[in-house]
Amino acid sequence: MIVVRLGWRNLWRNSRRSLITIAGIACAFAFTIAFIGLGKGMVVQMLKNGTELMVGHVQIHDRDYLPDRDLYETIGNQEGCDWHQVIAGLKQNQDVVAVAPRVFGFGLVSTGEQSAGAQIIGVDPDLEGNLSRLVDRDMLSRLRPGSVLLGATLALELRAREGNEIAAVTQAADGTLGNELFRVGGIVKTGLAYLDRSVAFMRIDDLQRLLALEPSHIHEIAIKLRDPVRAPESSRFISRMSGLPEGVSVQSWRQLLPQLNDYLGLAGGANAFIIGLVVVFVSFGILNTMMMATFERIREIGMLNAFGMRPGLILSTFLFEAFFLALLGLTAGFGLGALMMRYLSLYGLDLSRWMGQLSMLQTRVEPILKAVWNWEAVVAAAISLWVATVAAAYLPARKAVKVDAVEALRAPVMQ
Amino acid sequence: MGINSMMDRLMRISRLSIFVILLGIVTGPLFAQTSQQRAKEIIDRVDRMLRGDSSVGRVEMTVATRQWKRTTELRIWSEGTEKVLVRIEAPKKDQGTSTLRVGDNIWNYLPKIDRVIRVPTSMMMAAWMGSHFTNDDLVQESRLARDYDVTIEFEGAREGVEVYEFLLMPRPQAPVVWGKIVYQIRKSDLMPIWARFYGEDGELKRRATFSEYQVMDGRLVPALMRMTPEDKPGEYTEMKYRELEFDLKIPESLFSLKSLRGS
Repeated sequence: MIVVRLGWRNLWRNSRRSLITIAGIACAFAFTIAFIGLGKGMVVQMLKNGTELMVGHVQIHDRDYLPDRDLYETIGNQEGCDWHQVIAGLKQNQDVVAVAPRVFGFGLVSTGEQSAGAQIIGVDPDLEGNLSRLVDRDMLSRLRPGSVLLGATLALELRAREGNEIAAVTQAADGTLGNELFRVGGIVKTGLAYLDRSVAFMRIDDLQRLLALEPSHIHEIAIKLRDPVRAPESSRFISRMSGLPEGVSVQSWRQLLPQLNDYLGLAGGANAFIIGLVVVFVSFGILNTMMMATFERIREIGMLNAFGMRPGLILSTFLFEAFFLALLGLTAGFGLGALMMRYLSLYGLDLSRWMGQLSMLQTRVEPILKAVWNWEAVVAAAISLWVATVAAAYLPARKAVKVDAVEALRAPVMQ
Repeated sequence: MGINSMMDRLMRISRLSIFVILLGIVTGPLFAQTSQQRAKEIIDRVDRMLRGDSSVGRVEMTVATRQWKRTTELRIWSEGTEKVLVRIEAPKKDQGTSTLRVGDNIWNYLPKIDRVIRVPTSMMMAAWMGSHFTNDDLVQESRLARDYDVTIEFEGAREGVEVYEFLLMPRPQAPVVWGKIVYQIRKSDLMPIWARFYGEDGELKRRATFSEYQVMDGRLVPALMRMTPEDKPGEYTEMKYRELEFDLKIPESLFSLKSLRGS
């Protein structure tokens, strides 16, 4: 125990130097926390945007549906499936927040002279509103039977306004030309240029009729989970669920949005890199401090040695000194970091000055970046810093302890 | 031999060779030209024979895909190379559905919703009436001789039949979708046997085969044409002529949006 006390008291023999080192560790740790927090904030936001906009966290399709989105590859193929039952079953699952069925078709929408090709998405307005943010609930509520919501650019191209009548023409599943009239219920601004240019929403039963699909024929069931990170496990669990027809594939966003998945992997790599960098810088600072501390006490070490104190114990005093140095630095740093995180998570970092409205990997990126605690990375950073501090102290201390007692006593007195 | 006579001989030789080279330069393209002209002439003759100045026909169109097979009865009016009107007469469900093409423009009339819809440029490559023809085919089909350079690639016997095989390469700047077309025509009566359509990457995309040659309104025509896309095995579209009349006087007003509506 004497070793611990000696270590603590040694720390305050040159209190200014120790405080500066502590401040250094504290700042490094605080900024690491903030940086990791912003990184995680970016990841969370991209994941949120990428999945909550439309995709969801898990999707069910027929095995052959993606990537071509063939009209005939409905869930359960020719027989279709009782998707109301499947959705009710999915909702029983604790991890599931929302479920939405979808039908996709491609067709021509026209106001007469003005026509354009459109990706027509059939949705259930109530269920869809709980899952995707692409179209807000208020807009979805205007999707009454016989109406259509048009992407803003598409509407402009057709010169269609709300309340106008438009014709939709498609190649229906039975080989006929599906054609019906719809009323424009609303005009949708998704924030994604490629969707605004091409998308039209209809009620699922309207689109099924237009495409001559049976009511039991749908292409996709999208699922939103409580915890997106657990999507791969959830999708495995869901794929074993009873009531799912043959030949379906259940995929998580990691498979559905491979680019996003790769990007998030990259962000994790960047965290590790920054932590490593900070650890290296801090280690050099500690090394310097401890080197000074040992060399100025070389006489004292020799004396202790001469009194018969075991070298291992002397070494330990230095290690405990470094231990306390790191403890104080990390505690202060955590406090400072927590303050920064509080600010950054409440108000965020306004990046609009640099980037404006930006879309990346087909998802919207908000210009205000809000930090999110990434506890794993913070703990990893703290442990790395701690270990690095003690390790940096070990080297000069070991050297000093090995010095011959007589020679050490001859060393000039410092201070 | 003096230096003068040497020069003289050299001059004579070079004069001769210049003459030969010049002859080559002048007549070479001449031969090529005539072969190309001949090819174009034959294609034009085939085209005129099958199309006439105008035509009115009744066609049974059968479309078979992996999921369904259906037959519709069409009535087709055409005049020159730029005007076509197609109206579905049966089955009842599609009755009255019509397509009008004038020049580069295509309109569809859908009786169920009573609307005329112009096909936008972006949809020209979409299927026409559920068949394996695209809207674009309706426009391009009549303009082969205009948009392609025609050469005779092969002339001789194939499976015991004397044929021409024409190679159609798109002219620079021509607004076409095919990288090349090979067209086989029977020498004896200039009846088409098959056509193969290749993409810009040189890959075979689809084939048309002609058969059931018979005399209609005094002309020999292939009454059956079958189009098979290469990327969808088992699928095809067949056009079978039931009736065909040529060079009738068709009122100009037939190729109008008003008559498209069937009024």
